[in-house]
Amino acid sequence: VSTPRARRRAVGSPRQELAEDTAVGGLYLRRLVRAQLGLSLSALVAFGGLFGALPLALFSVPGLQEVDVLGVPLALWLVVPAPFPFFLAIGWLYQRRADALDAAFRELADAP
Amino acid sequence: VIAIVAVAAVTLGALGLGAFGVRWARTTSDVFVASRAVTPWWNAAAISGEYLSAASFLGIAGLQLKLGSGALWLPLGFTAGYLALLLFVAAPLRRYGSYTIPDFAEARLGTPGMRLLAAAVVLAIGGCYLVPQLKGAGLALGFVTGAPYWVGVACVGLVVTLVVALGGMRGITYVQAYQYWVKTFAICVPACVLLVHLGGLPGRAALFGQELPQAPAGGLVVRLAEPVRVTFPEGTAYRVDGRALRARAGQEVELPAGTLRVPAGVAVPVADGITPRTGEQWSRPVSREGPATPLFVYSLLLATFLGTMGLPHILVRFYTNPDGPAARRTTVRVLGLLGLFYAFPAVYGLLGRTFTPELYVTGATDEVVLRLPEAAWPGLGGELLAALTAAGAFAAFMSTASGLLVSLAGTISHDLWGRVRRPAAPRVRTRTFRVAAVAAMVPPALIALGAREVDISVLVGWAFALAASTFCPLFLLGIWWPGLTARGAAAGMLAGGLAASAGITAGVLTGAGTETLGDAVLAQPAAVSVPLAFATMILVSRADPRRPADVSQHLLALHAPEGLGLAREAQRV
Repeated sequence: VSTPRARRRAVGSPRQELAEDTAVGGLYLRRLVRAQLGLSLSALVAFGGLFGALPLALFSVPGLQEVDVLGVPLALWLVVPAPFPFFLAIGWLYQRRADALDAAFRELADAP
Repeated sequence: VIAIVAVAAVTLGALGLGAFGVRWARTTSDVFVASRAVTPWWNAAAISGEYLSAASFLGIAGLQLKLGSGALWLPLGFTAGYLALLLFVAAPLRRYGSYTIPDFAEARLGTPGMRLLAAAVVLAIGGCYLVPQLKGAGLALGFVTGAPYWVGVACVGLVVTLVVALGGMRGITYVQAYQYWVKTFAICVPACVLLVHLGGLPGRAALFGQELPQAPAGGLVVRLAEPVRVTFPEGTAYRVDGRALRARAGQEVELPAGTLRVPAGVAVPVADGITPRTGEQWSRPVSREGPATPLFVYSLLLATFLGTMGLPHILVRFYTNPDGPAARRTTVRVLGLLGLFYAFPAVYGLLGRTFTPELYVTGATDEVVLRLPEAAWPGLGGELLAALTAAGAFAAFMSTASGLLVSLAGTISHDLWGRVRRPAAPRVRTRTFRVAAVAAMVPPALIALGAREVDISVLVGWAFALAASTFCPLFLLGIWWPGLTARGAAAGMLAGGLAASAGITAGVLTGAGTETLGDAVLAQPAAVSVPLAFATMILVSRADPRRPADVSQHLLALHAPEGLGLAREAQRV
């Protein structure tokens, strides 16, 4: 950030600050990046917590193998089709939230 | 004959779409990034089509048959990788707006050297991945039609080169989307029809109970083209070419080439590298011992999860979306499309254990998807379904090979040749791309022709490990950490790449057990080399006195939403 530019005026519109790469603009930007990263990490934790626990759950509860659902052990149902809709749900929720963060940033930039 | 017709139809369909693609490939942007005008549904189908290689179409059911239900973690890891892509890479990568992966590396880190390093890794990954696809095509076509090995290699090589050279990225997008639906249809319909025809899963004692897979009523007859070493789990009399022989329980026998006959109801002998397992052991997705211990499952999931994020031929497809939000939508749809496909391979593994036990004798469990329909339903019905799976397998070879070729040709013409002689007119660049596509196909095809007798499945594992330990950290840190420097990135990529390669080489040289799932995909090096690459990148970047310049401009280009009218957006063409 060049000092003369920063000294030139108090604070311009957010869009101006961003376009001119000022300290204030950098602050806006870093806030956006941090918000997006936070969202991604929380989605990762939700995914890792639930899906990551699955192998351990199947390992420590061998009884899941004995429960029969439509002639196939429950453990297999939990591995083959079950996680895919879960992945899709997390992906879809994340996409909506991430788009919303983008929209909020756009609104901020358009503020006077 | 029906199978030949089906394979030919799928191939001609691809060629036809590709020939049509010539009209779409007019500008440079068409050829490299499909003019960034691919809608989420089309791109998602194209990405899924490109991603579902023979390893998915044939390999998962084969591994399941061989090692047990632990193999079913593979498709989960393959799919979950796209969640990682969605969360951390898809939108920023697209917004940054490059043509190729090495483009990104040079622009983000500001050194031409990074472009060369990244280009070298793209070529290594692409080459490693392409050779097994071509080899698989040769073997599969030989299996289906009896054609010599080289015919399949030449056939797929030619079709793919033609389609890529003529249509560029734009043409290949439609071809791959078409091939996704071919594959899904070809895996879903036979699975469902067979389940309905059989009225469920027969032979449940060997699937989930206490029995080993047994010779069917009427005895098991296997034609052995070459001698095999097998182990008899159960003492029995057997015949080879009419000679009566006996084996004790647990005895290892070298069977000569000929026709093997095992009486009905006897546990089938298994080839070297396969352990006889009761249904109960075989069907457990996680078990205390064997190939599916929790440690192996987690290491496998980690390797596939991170490896997917670094596959250059997949990443380059995200440049074809119009903007960041479209890239996110594309990835969510990919999660759905892959889930749809991956619901079915397990059916082939389960039915194959009952109907194709001879694969345990020959050890060629990868053939289960191709063999099962006729084994489970002798007659016209089975023949039709077998034609369908053969066509699907061929679509799998072609779509993955064409995606790899696009990324190879793009890197050669744009990042290597394009740097030597510039600036070039758009017409020249398009022509260079076409020449590069042809040139990039020749060495892998020649290697594939020579590698018929060599087991090269290790190459895919290497490509995945290399992707996970080079591009995955480069993208994660390059996108989210302003402090990454060129030296740090280069050091990390070298350290990760070398560690992964060393691990794979050591695994091959020592012949470390062919038994475990971890070995099957060579998951171990990634579990070590990926953290190593991350640590090296961070430490070297921190120690690097040359701080990166204009980091905030890069952050802006990566993360600022579209439509703000900022200067940097002009470059997002």
